[in-house]
Amino acid sequence: MTDQTSPTTKSRFTFQTFILLLLPIILLAGVIVLFLKTGGGLDLTSPAPIESLTIERYHLARGHIELNVQNTGPAELNIAQVIVNEAVMPFEVTPSATIPRLGKALITVNYAWTEGEAYAVRVFTSNAVPFDVMIPVAFETPAPEAKTFWSFTLIGLYVGVIPIFLGIFWLPALRTLGKQWMTFLMAVTVGLLIFLGLDTFIEALEQAAEVPSTFQGIGLIGIGAVATYMLLEMIDSPKSSDRSESSQRLNIAWRIALGIGIHNLGEGLAIGAAYNVGEIALGTFLVVGFIIQNITEGLGIIAPILRDRPNIRQLALLGLLGGAPAILGAWIGGFTPSLFLAVLFLAIGTGAIFQVAVEIGRIIQKDNVKQPMPGFIFSGVITGMLMLWVTGIFIK
Amino acid sequence: MKNKLSRRDLLKLGGFGILSAAGSVALTNLKPAEKADHKKHFLQTPTPHRPDAFSGMEHGEGLPGTGDVNHERNGFNPGDILTDFDYGKTSTLPNGQTLREYEIVTVNKNIEIVPGIDFPAWTYNGRIPGPAIRATEGDRIRIHFKNGSDHPHSMHFHGVHPSEMDGVPGTGPGGTVNPGEEFIYEFDAEPFGLHLYHCHVFPLARHIAKGLYGAFVVDPKEGRPRVDREMVMVMHGIDIDFDDANDFYAVNGIPFYYQNHPIQIKVGETVRIYLVNILEFDLLNSFHLHANFFHYYPTGTSLTPSEFTDTIIQGQAQRGILEFSYKYPGMYMFHAHVTEFAELGWNGMFEVVSA
Repeated sequence: MTDQTSPTTKSRFTFQTFILLLLPIILLAGVIVLFLKTGGGLDLTSPAPIESLTIERYHLARGHIELNVQNTGPAELNIAQVIVNEAVMPFEVTPSATIPRLGKALITVNYAWTEGEAYAVRVFTSNAVPFDVMIPVAFETPAPEAKTFWSFTLIGLYVGVIPIFLGIFWLPALRTLGKQWMTFLMAVTVGLLIFLGLDTFIEALEQAAEVPSTFQGIGLIGIGAVATYMLLEMIDSPKSSDRSESSQRLNIAWRIALGIGIHNLGEGLAIGAAYNVGEIALGTFLVVGFIIQNITEGLGIIAPILRDRPNIRQLALLGLLGGAPAILGAWIGGFTPSLFLAVLFLAIGTGAIFQVAVEIGRIIQKDNVKQPMPGFIFSGVITGMLMLWVTGIFIK
Repeated sequence: MKNKLSRRDLLKLGGFGILSAAGSVALTNLKPAEKADHKKHFLQTPTPHRPDAFSGMEHGEGLPGTGDVNHERNGFNPGDILTDFDYGKTSTLPNGQTLREYEIVTVNKNIEIVPGIDFPAWTYNGRIPGPAIRATEGDRIRIHFKNGSDHPHSMHFHGVHPSEMDGVPGTGPGGTVNPGEEFIYEFDAEPFGLHLYHCHVFPLARHIAKGLYGAFVVDPKEGRPRVDREMVMVMHGIDIDFDDANDFYAVNGIPFYYQNHPIQIKVGETVRIYLVNILEFDLLNSFHLHANFFHYYPTGTSLTPSEFTDTIIQGQAQRGILEFSYKYPGMYMFHAHVTEFAELGWNGMFEVVSA
């Protein structure tokens, strides 16, 4: 297309332009009003009340079962009855049994539950639509007190911080390797990141499927992942070559740490929520599994800076950035689990991890321009992916 | 490696509390669209009031199912249904036989079945159960039946009568009475005992579960021994979400009614209960009387009790007569000893006061 506008019509913002811009919007408002008033000739009244109540979480206290619910349907609804294990139970709804669209409420059921037993809670709306929640193992929900706070911190330490630092301890040994081996390790990191990125993405998809449809979980993943990817590209455009190569490599390490950190935040969220429903009690072996798998993440962080001489402080901060978010995630997941947040964090993690993988890929390419795909790069990437896959098998 | 839990499993479990809830919501959300037809009535219902569940306990702290429904809007009250035997409009036929005439019309009606929930019921004369039709053995029963609803219905009596009066599709015009049409069911009341009637149009379970049933009492010619109090209790279930499973259970229409409004009797007063089971979807129902025993007359077809007990079982459409009196004053529970029914509504109280 050639530009046929004459040079006289420069970009001038006149009143006329303003009106022309506004015109479609005014017409749109008119169409909407007309449609709302007449129905546009369509009979769109629903023959049935379509209701949707999301039971976000349950909270067990002595003699009480509490449900945090959100009305995710198109119209307001009324909580009419609560049935626990096939028995009608007295309950209270705060602030009100009438919940507006997207409104939240707390249902408190008077119920002398027994530790270790299973409960099925059914909530009936006034239109007789049932909503169920299963309590597989009843036990008192940990309150946000110092002790549980500390437990969550410990869990985050075990699955996030400790393994990453263990991985970083490889640095002195790996520094003695030749250049080709270092490139191989970078390739391994790319493999690790691709695997973690996929893992994070799939986890985001799974969680998104459970997000109330109002919040469009899949769209949320797209926004979170794409925005993060592009933001990281903006922060470090390859054209800013006024920096030394070593500081650029350190920069990469920071971003690997950040991407892995967000990934671990997502894991922390899930672990915290699991702890709340009693599942973590089964998991000493799992924590060992996490340490084995996540030690490779530490390796990934140091891979780009093997030829440099980072100081202890920098290394410590890198490790914390990669691991400590697991603690934060465990706190959030344990005390205020939110599917919305989980999906958002996992999406951000996906975007960050893939961006870093691409970035490292660029560095490797710059160092090895002569060959299209050297064998040690191919084997490095595959090794990285296999490391996570094989340690995954060990945990099963 | 034998450990079945994995890291990924843990991550999945992580959201368990949230996810399982949301998952089941997603499933149940499919339902309203599927049952659009049945939900139509709901649109006309006003926003139900919900009395505070905690403060509804006038007596008996810790009982399930407190709070009251709007009986006025329902148009009937189980407190009245308990004793309102319907003897019909009586006259004498030329041959000397007593004629009892009844007007019965089927009506679609929203009934507030538990506080806050309307059930789009099908009813005989706007109530659940329908009128307790009562006659003496050998009387002529004439029922002017009118279908005022939007589905075909019928009245099928348990008793002895000609086929065309059986109210079953395929036996003539009385088997399927279409909306707006009328039919006169006429037959002799026999044998004596406690029977029932219900709609017999298919799908049968749905037509019964929606509320089309009632008791049919045929007294022996010589009558039963005199008692101080006679009551009728029709046991049934209510499937409010149309999944062919009962969500609530009740006697005479409203779950927990006699628990929250105990039936007053006096010490030493003789009580006779005509007990009918018209439960759908569950095989058995039962009646258990606390701190007492009763004489039981299955189907009421004999004047000699078959059993002296405190618990009886009735299958679908089984019925029988109970006779007892209380020795001590106080609050006495009666309920289905299928206890899960009790906690879902089939629970009542006798308040025995000193004579």
